[in-house]
Amino acid sequence: MKGIRFFSIAAVLLAASLLLASCGGPKQPVKLTVWINGADSFIGPTEQQKPQDQWYISQAFRRFEKANPGVSIELVVQADQNAAHTNFKTAGLAGNAPDVANLWTGQPIFALKDVILPLDKLVPADDLKKIVGWDSVRDGFKADGTILGYPAGQNQICFMMYNKSIIKKAGLDFDANPPRTIPEFDAALAKIKAIGVTPILVDEAAQSVCWWLAFVADYWWTQQTTNAGILDETYGRKKFADDQGFIKVLTYYRSLYTRGYFRKDMATSNDSFSQFLQGKGAIWPAVTSFLADAEKSLGPDLGVLMPPEFDTTAKLQNSTIGGPGQSLVVAKNTKYPEMAVKLISFLNSKAEVLAAEKINRYPVVRTDITPEELGWAPDSNIAKLHKYSSTYNYWVDNLLTSEPANVFYLQAALVATGKMTPQQFAAEMDKKAAAQ
Amino acid sequence: MKGTALASRRKRTRRREILFSLLPILVILLIFRVYPIVMALGKSFTNWDGLFRSDWVGLRNYVTFVKDPTFWLVLRNTLILLINVPLQVFIGIVVALLLYEQVPGWRIYRAVVYTPQIISAVIIGFLFKIFFGYEGPFNGILKAVGLGGMAIEWFGTSLTALGVIVFAIVWFSIGWQAIVILGGLSAISPSIFEAAIIDGANYWQRAFRIVIPMLARVLEFSIISSGVWTLTQLFPFLFAMTKGGPGYETSTLDYMIYLKSFGTGFGRDYGTASAIAMMLLILVLALTMIEMKLTNRADDWE
Repeated sequence: MKGIRFFSIAAVLLAASLLLASCGGPKQPVKLTVWINGADSFIGPTEQQKPQDQWYISQAFRRFEKANPGVSIELVVQADQNAAHTNFKTAGLAGNAPDVANLWTGQPIFALKDVILPLDKLVPADDLKKIVGWDSVRDGFKADGTILGYPAGQNQICFMMYNKSIIKKAGLDFDANPPRTIPEFDAALAKIKAIGVTPILVDEAAQSVCWWLAFVADYWWTQQTTNAGILDETYGRKKFADDQGFIKVLTYYRSLYTRGYFRKDMATSNDSFSQFLQGKGAIWPAVTSFLADAEKSLGPDLGVLMPPEFDTTAKLQNSTIGGPGQSLVVAKNTKYPEMAVKLISFLNSKAEVLAAEKINRYPVVRTDITPEELGWAPDSNIAKLHKYSSTYNYWVDNLLTSEPANVFYLQAALVATGKMTPQQFAAEMDKKAAAQ
Repeated sequence: MKGTALASRRKRTRRREILFSLLPILVILLIFRVYPIVMALGKSFTNWDGLFRSDWVGLRNYVTFVKDPTFWLVLRNTLILLINVPLQVFIGIVVALLLYEQVPGWRIYRAVVYTPQIISAVIIGFLFKIFFGYEGPFNGILKAVGLGGMAIEWFGTSLTALGVIVFAIVWFSIGWQAIVILGGLSAISPSIFEAAIIDGANYWQRAFRIVIPMLARVLEFSIISSGVWTLTQLFPFLFAMTKGGPGYETSTLDYMIYLKSFGTGFGRDYGTASAIAMMLLILVLALTMIEMKLTNRADDWE
C-alpha cells in the first residue's frame, strides 16, 4: 500500500514538473526567411554599396529579433524582381517558399494567390486604419477582396524630373509656371527643342518597361477611362480598341516621337537616366526611388514636375500614377504565420517607417506621419511628391493581366516609332485578353 | 560442345561488359535528356502555369502560337540568323588555311582569332550593343568620315538589328571554326598541298579544290554544330543586345521560350513555352537531317 502511494505521489510530481517545464521553459526558436527585392524597395540604390549589416532592412531585423527573443531572421536578397515572382511560385509549389516575400502589388500577387496566405484574420485593425494602399493587395482590387499582403512601407509616386538650368535656358520657369495642360506642355517642349536639347530622355523598350507610357501617359489614360474601365478591358469585358481615351493617348504618345520631343533611339536605348544626370536632356520620367541619386548628382538643378492634365474635364485631376507598388506577403507554407505578420506589421510601424526614411526617401504609406516629422523642407522635391501620396491613382500597368501586360510592355515603343498603329496595338491587347 | 559453351559464355560476359560500360552514360542521358524532352512534350499539351494548373488542352498551344503573327516573325528571324553559319564556316576556312600555311605572325593570329571564344557571350553582346548604339563609336566613325547619313539606329529595325547580331555571332565563332578546320587540315597529307603548289594552284584553288572536298566530314560536323548552336544557344547575345525587341523584331524561337517562361509579365505560360521547345526540336532535327542528306549526296558525287 505504502509502495503504491509512493509511486502515485512520484507520478503526480513528475507530471507536474513536466507541465511546469513546458510552460516556463525556453520557447522553441523561430526562424523566418525573408526575401527582399534588391532595388526600389527596402534596399536603396546607395545602400547597396555598403556592407549588408549596415542596410536599413538588416538593422530593422536585428531590432525585431531583440524585441522577440528566440526569433531569428534570414535576409535573402532577390536581385531580379521579375524573377522573384517566378522563384516564389516555384518555391511555393515545392513547399519551401520563404516565410515572407517582397513582391509587386496588384496582378503580380493575384497571380500567386495559390501559394500566398490570406491575411484577413491576421492583420491588426490599427494597421488597416493607418496604412494606405490596401486596395492594391486585395484580390481583384475589390474593397472586400482577400488581403494577400501588406503594402510595403514605401510609396512610389510617378513624376517627371527636369533640369532647371536647361529649362531656364529655354526661357521657362517650371517652379513658377509648370505646364498644367497638354497645349502648355507642348509649347514648353517646343521651346526646349529650339535650344538644341532633347526635351524628353526615355527608354521605352530596352528594360522591358515602357517608362513614359507606364509612368506618365498611363495617368492620361486612366483619367479618361478610369481604373475600373481598364480592369473591364483587361478581363475582356470591354475592348481596348473601343477605348477612345486610350487611342487618343497612344496617338499623342506617337506625336511626341514624330515631333522630335523624345530621344530618337528611345526604342533601343537604356541609358536615359545617366544621360539626364549628365545634363544631356531636359526631362526624364521617374519614380521616387530615383530622387535621392538625382539630387546627389544635379543638386539644386533638379526639379520635379507632375504630369499635365490630358483632359481638363475629366473627374480625376491633380493626380498621378503611383501607390505602393511593392508588397510583403506571407507564404502558405510558413510554420509561423502570426510571427510573419508581426514582422511585417513591425516594418510598417511608425517608428520603423521613420527610421527607413532616414536612409531611403519615399512618400510614406502611413497616414499618421507628417512631412515635418520626416524633417522635409516644405519646398523640397520630396515634400512636393508627398502631397500626392494619398491622392495618387494606382498603377495602371499593375491592373493589366499578364498577357495584355506583355503586349503593353514589349510593343509600346513600336507605336511611338510608327511600326504599329494605336489601333493595332489596342487590338493586339484585346486579342491577348480574349485568349486568357 | 565444351568450346561452344565457352564461346557463348564469353559472348554473354562481353555483352554484360558492354552494357555496364554504357550504363552510366545511358542513365545520364535518360535523366538529363530523354526525361526532360518527354516531360516537355507532355506539358506542351497542357496549360501548365508552373504551379498547380496543368489541364489537358490538346493541340491548343501549338495552334494558337502558329496562328499568331508573332510566330512567323520569330521563325523568320530564326532562319535569317542561320545566315551566320555559311559565313562563319567560310571565314573559318580562310583563316584556318592562313594559319595552316603559317603566314608571318601566324602564332599571334591563332591566339587572337580564338580570343572571342573565351569572352562571355553576354559581354560580347553588350560590347556590340554599345559599339552599334545610336550614339556609339560606329556611328561616330561614320560621321567622322563624312558618312553621317548612314549613321542610323542599328537596333531600331529588324533587318539592321539582325545584321548586327549575325556580325557579332560570326566574330565570336570564327576562332572555333578555324580551330576545328585546322584540326581537319592536319589530317591531310602535306604532300598534297606541296604538289598543288608545284602545279601552280593559287590560294583559292587550293581552298576550293583540295581543302573543301577533303574536309567534307569536318565541315559537316561544323555546319551541324553551328546550325544547332544558332537555333538553341543565342539567348545571351539577344538578351544583351536587343532583349528580342523592339517588340518581337529580333526574337527567335529559343528566345520566345524564355519570354513565355520567365519574360515580362507575371503569369507564366510554360505550356506554350514547352510547345515552342518541341517545335524548335523538330526544326533542329529536320534541318540536321536535310544537311546530312545533302552531305551524303556530296560524298556520292566524290
